[in-house]
Amino acid sequence: MLFPNLIGFLMFLLLPVLATFVISFSDWNLTNSFHFNGIDNYKELFQDPVFIQVMGNTFYFTLASVPIGIVISLLLAVILNQKLRFIRFYRAAFFIPVISSMVAVSVIWQWIYNPEYGLLNYALSWFGIDGPAWLTDPHWAMPTVIVTSIWKSLGFNMLIFLAGLQSISDSYYEAADIEGAKWYSKFWRITLPLLSPTTFFVTVMSIINSFQVFDTVYLMTQGGPARSTSVLVYYIFQNAFQYFHMGYASAMAYVLFFIVLIITFIQFWRQKKWSIY
Amino acid sequence: MKKWSVALVSLMMLALTLTACGGNEANNAANAGNDGTASNKAGQVTLKFMGWEVSPLETQSVKNGLEQFMKENPNIKVEYTTIPGGTQYVAKMQAMVLGDEAPDVFFLQSDYYHDFVTRGSLLDITENVKKDGMDSDLIDSAVQLSTVDNKYYGIESCIVAPVLYYNKDIFDKAGVAYPPSDPSKAWTWNEFVNTAKKLTIKNGDKVEQYGVYGMETYYNLIAEIMSNGGNWFTSDLKSSAANTQEVKEVLQAVADLRKKDGVSPEGKLLTNSGMSPAQMLQTGKIAMLVDGSWALQELSKMNFKVGVGVLPKFDEAVTHGQAHLHVASANTKHPEEAWKLIKFLSSEEYQLQNVKAGLWLPNHKSLYTEEGIQKWLTAGVHPDGFKDLIPYFTSSKPYPYALLSSQRIQEDTTTELDKFFLSDQSLDQTVQNIETVVNKSLAAQ
Amino acid sequence: MKPRSWLKPTAHIILLIGSIIILFPFIWSVCTSLKNVNEVFTYPPRFFGAELKFSNYTNMTDRFPIIQYFLNTLKITVIVVVSQLITSSMAGYVFARLRFHFREGLFGLYLATLMVPAQVTMIPTFLLMKYYGLLDTHWSLILPGLVSAFGTFLLRQFFSTIPEALEEAAKIDGCTPFGIYWRIFVPLSKPALATLGIFIMLGTWNDFVNPLVFINSMNKMTLTLGLANMQGLYSTDWPALMAATVITILPILIVFLSAQDIFVRGVTLSGLKEG
Repeated sequence: MLFPNLIGFLMFLLLPVLATFVISFSDWNLTNSFHFNGIDNYKELFQDPVFIQVMGNTFYFTLASVPIGIVISLLLAVILNQKLRFIRFYRAAFFIPVISSMVAVSVIWQWIYNPEYGLLNYALSWFGIDGPAWLTDPHWAMPTVIVTSIWKSLGFNMLIFLAGLQSISDSYYEAADIEGAKWYSKFWRITLPLLSPTTFFVTVMSIINSFQVFDTVYLMTQGGPARSTSVLVYYIFQNAFQYFHMGYASAMAYVLFFIVLIITFIQFWRQKKWSIY
Repeated sequence: MKKWSVALVSLMMLALTLTACGGNEANNAANAGNDGTASNKAGQVTLKFMGWEVSPLETQSVKNGLEQFMKENPNIKVEYTTIPGGTQYVAKMQAMVLGDEAPDVFFLQSDYYHDFVTRGSLLDITENVKKDGMDSDLIDSAVQLSTVDNKYYGIESCIVAPVLYYNKDIFDKAGVAYPPSDPSKAWTWNEFVNTAKKLTIKNGDKVEQYGVYGMETYYNLIAEIMSNGGNWFTSDLKSSAANTQEVKEVLQAVADLRKKDGVSPEGKLLTNSGMSPAQMLQTGKIAMLVDGSWALQELSKMNFKVGVGVLPKFDEAVTHGQAHLHVASANTKHPEEAWKLIKFLSSEEYQLQNVKAGLWLPNHKSLYTEEGIQKWLTAGVHPDGFKDLIPYFTSSKPYPYALLSSQRIQEDTTTELDKFFLSDQSLDQTVQNIETVVNKSLAAQ
Repeated sequence: MKPRSWLKPTAHIILLIGSIIILFPFIWSVCTSLKNVNEVFTYPPRFFGAELKFSNYTNMTDRFPIIQYFLNTLKITVIVVVSQLITSSMAGYVFARLRFHFREGLFGLYLATLMVPAQVTMIPTFLLMKYYGLLDTHWSLILPGLVSAFGTFLLRQFFSTIPEALEEAAKIDGCTPFGIYWRIFVPLSKPALATLGIFIMLGTWNDFVNPLVFINSMNKMTLTLGLANMQGLYSTDWPALMAATVITILPILIVFLSAQDIFVRGVTLSGLKEG
């Protein structure tokens, strides 16, 4: 009964993981013969100004999108947790971007961001603001991409927070009510501390996902303008499937793997700490 | 424990899932067979032909041509499909070549021709070209652009070149003289900027009509650089010539159009305005448009009075020429039929159809004689004065990117130019960066 | 006045505004999809054109062979969902209940690959598909989707929570392991299977990278790749693009609205993202 699974596992997970590792030590480009070049690819990575820029962009994307996304989704979850009516409607509304394909979503957003005829700049003009060319201005392109991806993943994180909130026993709040605590002090002193394992989990997952962002960038900006939105996976994709530098791309994939690995280990370590609670 | 039964069931499950999709594939194949009329007719060969689409009109021209071809060659069926153009097209085509999935015949941008030849992806058609005497009627630049080390791996489809389009109504309304189409009367850069200023209309802070658009793309830029006696590369194509006075003057002048003179909209508006540049010219968002000569097909059908002139000059009035090539895959199973199709696509007859529609300019010598020109110059498509432009095209300089393996070079150049035009990278820094990255790429070739 | 009486109305207002912001892009895309090409360039923008052009939906089939794309996507998704559920649940059962050499070690390997980003396996998978001549076939999308370490892990965890007492009777009756799996574990884990199934469906239906890398022919494209392809070809025909967009989202939206609770449970149970 394990057999079919095992075959698939070996062929499409384990073997590729090992193969990428092997290829990352070669200068293979599909047309030359395969030969190893030691750690040249890894050495080259750190001398490649594009790679350094791309890593910077990836960190920029992560550091901006993760905290903002988490704060907004946490607040929404807290608001939604007040035993309100229409909760199904709100929950569905916030979740629709999550289930929509990124391709469809990016088409819609590109039209909204359109500098001349887009809704966003029209709305800004009410306030006398002359909006920039969002996706084609090197300074604005990354923030614009970030806003779209926060919008897309908001509902998902919100639901996880909601589940976390619902698992907090009412007795804590009742005790606080007796003491006459205000809502904000309850939020700081009860909700946030008791929710911290959930918050941590959401943070880790969001970081891992942010490091792997690709669709958004590929579809909305193609990494431009001036490579200002070119992120790690986009550069891997370019090297692998546009320049066919398989060795170099594999080395980058392993750098990504390594980063994800570190984040995951931090998670395991913190989880152990929390289980003492 | 009955390990054997476990294994057996597992195998059955696996077999089940496999046959389930196997059945589907077979169904699909059957459907395809039904759709594609009579592809199984005895002796009939199906050629896969792939290109991109600049406008729906272009695809229609190709399809009309193919109907003609299939009528003449009843044993060949051509399946034509389009995929998005630009870098996406090249990426996809490379992937198909590597996956042994390349179409038999396809369009290939001239700038990537050398990349494909170097990788051995294209069919050598030199013998057929010579045997059928295809090269004797090609103009010199077409021969130069179609050959790599004197061998043909494809034939250039036509010529296209950047030109200056303008909306006549806007000029009439402002009482400004039209841009000249005779290269010997070309505007100097200053005359051009002054005209653009006159045609830029502001309403408060918002510009309602811009003088000109389209100069910032590297494709159009290089025509002005050539006009200033410069080039992106040294004449032996071995190193970058970006860091030269000729290049820097042009880059600065073009950037000033928008940043200093305020006569040109955001450079990347082209890709992100939602409107095509042609629509912008039609609706009077811009008075002049720098774009490839192919745009005439679309512009001439748009119900406004379009004019075509030569680009403004720095020193010498000049443009550059190139065009995509029709090539065959090295792995095609039908080299003879593929050659027949390429030959047809390069024929005067096929070229005329697209030339008359304003999409192409001919690359046959015979179509540039007085008699030849009459065959294609079409009222309602080619505006008054178009004939004056002909020497401009026949003397066009070869597009340098088409003469070397330039995929990475173009990407790096665009990136740096974006930083200069759209961000605040200095001119000196920009040309230095281009020089560095381009020389690195060239050294690797 | 009772404390917090203002909280609920405020919450409603915030949520309502939030929902409008979140949903607005979709509403706008529906509106745009019903306009004439020239009407999308009117300024200031309007919600509706002079007439509702439903023909944008019917006219696009030659540029966006929606039925073909839909069937391709449906076929791939169904096969992947069904087979991944089968392979994951069988292996999950084996890891949870059967004892054999190296069981822990093997399961550890599965766990380890959970951490591997998809991009790491993509290059060798591409080469594998090229080697077997499967590029530009639906096999290249189906085969890697037949098995997932995540599904195996999730169901193994779920099966571990099923009390052993339930299977004792069956064992005494001489049921084979497969019989126990099929008659006891599968029926008991229907909610978990539904949840996993929905996640696999979402990931496969919306997948863009894999079709982008593996599929070239127009008639083999999935909805997402087809839409991206159409955007490349007709970048300025916004009404047609929006119509295609709406149609791409619609099927998954219907599934979501009719099975909202399973989605919600899925998110809260696993807390892991699609893919």
